[in-house]
Amino acid sequence: MMQILRWSAGRVMSALITLLGVSVLIFVAIRLMPGSYEDIILGPLASAEERQLLAEAYGLDQPIFVQYFAWIGQVLTGELGTSYVTQSSVSGEMLERIPVTATLTIMAMAVTLLAGVPLGIWTGVRSGAKQGGAVGRVVSSIGISVPEFVLGSIVIFVFSQFSLGLKVGGFASIGTGFWPTFQALLLPALVLSVFCVAATARTTRDAVMGVLVEPHITAAVARGETAGHIVRHHVLRNAGIPILTLLGTITAYLLGGAVIIETLFNLPGLGSFMVTGLGRRDFAVVQATVLFAAAVFVVLSLVLDLITSALDPRVAVTGKAGS
Amino acid sequence: MLINQRTRSRAAAGAAIALSLACVLTSCAAPGSAPGGTEQTEAAPGFLAVADEALTGTGALTVQLDYDTSEADGLDPQTAQTDTSWMIMGLVYETLVTTDENFEIQPKLATSWEQPDDTTYVFTIDTTATFSNGRALTVDDVVGSLERQVASMSVWSGQMGPVESIEATGDDQVTVKLGSPYAPFLAALANTPAAILPMEEVNDGSVDLTTTMLGTGPYLVADHRQDESWTFTANPDWHGGDNLAVQTLELQIVDQESTRQAALREGSTGMAKFVNIDSLSQLGGNEGLQIVKQTQSDLYYVLVNSQKPDSPLNDQDVRFAINTAIDRQAIADIVFAGETTPTGITPSNLPGACRVDELPSEQAAIEDARATIEETGAGDVELDLIVDTSNPVMAQIAQLVQQQLAEIGVTVRIEQVDTAIYIERVFSAQPGDFDLSISWFAGYSDPSMVTKWWNPEQAFFNVGFTGVHEDLNALIAEGASETDPDARAEVLTELCASADEYAEMVPLVHRPSIIGFDTTAVSPTIQSNEGYGNILRNIADYRIAG
Repeated sequence: MMQILRWSAGRVMSALITLLGVSVLIFVAIRLMPGSYEDIILGPLASAEERQLLAEAYGLDQPIFVQYFAWIGQVLTGELGTSYVTQSSVSGEMLERIPVTATLTIMAMAVTLLAGVPLGIWTGVRSGAKQGGAVGRVVSSIGISVPEFVLGSIVIFVFSQFSLGLKVGGFASIGTGFWPTFQALLLPALVLSVFCVAATARTTRDAVMGVLVEPHITAAVARGETAGHIVRHHVLRNAGIPILTLLGTITAYLLGGAVIIETLFNLPGLGSFMVTGLGRRDFAVVQATVLFAAAVFVVLSLVLDLITSALDPRVAVTGKAGS
Repeated sequence: MLINQRTRSRAAAGAAIALSLACVLTSCAAPGSAPGGTEQTEAAPGFLAVADEALTGTGALTVQLDYDTSEADGLDPQTAQTDTSWMIMGLVYETLVTTDENFEIQPKLATSWEQPDDTTYVFTIDTTATFSNGRALTVDDVVGSLERQVASMSVWSGQMGPVESIEATGDDQVTVKLGSPYAPFLAALANTPAAILPMEEVNDGSVDLTTTMLGTGPYLVADHRQDESWTFTANPDWHGGDNLAVQTLELQIVDQESTRQAALREGSTGMAKFVNIDSLSQLGGNEGLQIVKQTQSDLYYVLVNSQKPDSPLNDQDVRFAINTAIDRQAIADIVFAGETTPTGITPSNLPGACRVDELPSEQAAIEDARATIEETGAGDVELDLIVDTSNPVMAQIAQLVQQQLAEIGVTVRIEQVDTAIYIERVFSAQPGDFDLSISWFAGYSDPSMVTKWWNPEQAFFNVGFTGVHEDLNALIAEGASETDPDARAEVLTELCASADEYAEMVPLVHRPSIIGFDTTAVSPTIQSNEGYGNILRNIADYRIAG
């Protein structure tokens, strides 16, 4: 038990260090980028005095470490700064946009799990058969090789010609009701999830195939258990850990992919907010959105690690799941 | 003098922002598009569409645009620098005069005007007009607004000309005196930066123009979410009448061309603006949609950096050879599928503009250009051509220019950078950190207005890549001050030729706008020509269909 607690504490510490590292990295990286926020905000020919006034207004005239600690201090109080462009609170802007990205990501995750896991089990169980192998390969190839912006553009064109009740641009908040939100987000969520469905199906298939050759499966077959029973009670239970581990990676992918999808489908989420902020060298916006995305990923990974260790205590002891 | 210099400097800064930020907008036509263009039938002389007066319903209209206002001074119309800002703010604010489909000046808040001599304008003001807070417009608002603009550091103050005095000369009369004749004066008054502001409220501090829009125009701002949307509601007290069919106007900002196309197809927007010429054909076959191409006076141009040390482009002969090698008609035919036309520095669709085929570079032989490059050894140096990634059409133009310059032995390397880097390297760096680049100018509605930007002492944004040429500057000044049409045409011809020979900013072709609308949602009035990028210029005449 102590070993598990020690391992968990280590994971929490590791998560905090990761976030600290991300905060330093993004803070420095955005300032090293060529192109200046003064040119965007004031125009290229603003006087030195105007530039100085702007820098002072946002504390950008201070040494970089002073700026960093001031920012981190703000972050710890939940205040993420002020956008140089809109002059509004970044936290406020993000609170309005998080529901969009969250809904999109959750829908994409739901599609991933509902399609990827069953497909992976089916192709894994039927791995010896021609049908299962072919389907698995086709789905994986398409899902992994077609870029989101290509698929998204095709979907936008096709569904704008034949709408089928689905929207190809714009967001309807959950407050407007389930159906408008579903109409607006289903297509973006489907496009966003294609890669993840393929990756999940492949991982699940491999995990299932790995479990199927285990002696206890042979024993279950020998006991006369039905195929369905074997899959539910033996295969899924043992194949679950790699799938669970994959969820963290998929979440990171979905958050990253949301940047493209939100821009393509004109969704006012965090991704499009970050892209706009980056283009304008709006430091506060970029720092806040990147740190938030990193925090979501780190926290989720931590939770998944803890769940994994609860399901398989060997993870906490040896650092890796047992087979 | 200090103020003038400062004014010019800010004006130039604004121009540069206008160039750079407004250039975030376009998309591109496929290089392989067929040349020739499509024949467009006008609904009436000078109009691509005319609203159906038989439609009497009122309602809401959604219009999708490619980018939002993004001004350093917020919502202040007098410092607005991009055409989208002018259009959006023009829904709330009004000017003394406006332009019609033939670029002729028409009354607006000034019901009439007289010009007793070349330098005096006497405006009769419509004092029945009210601001949306209910206060009546006064001559003091007009005087204060124009004085504020002239004294401002805005891009537009440089276009207002040599204004000497602005006085109220009656309860409904304002007299403006110029120091010398200035032909584009009324055209300068016709754009949103010359808007008439609620000066009483501005002066007493009850209205902050950077955050609040309070004008005499047809609409009130109900909501604005930066880079997402604007919602306007009809101004019930608008002096233009109570016949506004579009009672609620929503402007949605959708930067992806394909998404705007899709929204128009599926009916989630009633109208949309496009910059991709291919939208004409891609949307043309859709039932219920009408797609029109509005000719803008805006123009694309190549920046040729003559100020970079040890560059072959320091040599005017080399620059002229490059200008000669650039085939404007090929750019119009290939990049824009024949849907636009070449232009000199005076926008060719404006009355009195110079003829493109008379430009020295159009008449020079490409063999001579090739010989110049060989003689000077300029072909031994690889030139970089920098373009902003946010504007794909400029990358398309760059590719064609690269091929055209290869014909005379000039090797070009295209470099694509984002907007912030582009501004830094092209406009902020002194000298400019590039060899060649591509950008665009708003063309306005008088042929001499845009020519000011060929004088770096007036424009200022281009001091990093162009030289000062007294003869060219004199022609620019003369083109603006000459009021006799025939004499002015001669000056402008000479001006075009001079700028063409210096070849530091080489005009290419006009930048067209594609406008699509759902005929089951709206019946708009759209002019065939536009000088200030205002596709909603006739919004008060629109009718709601269905």
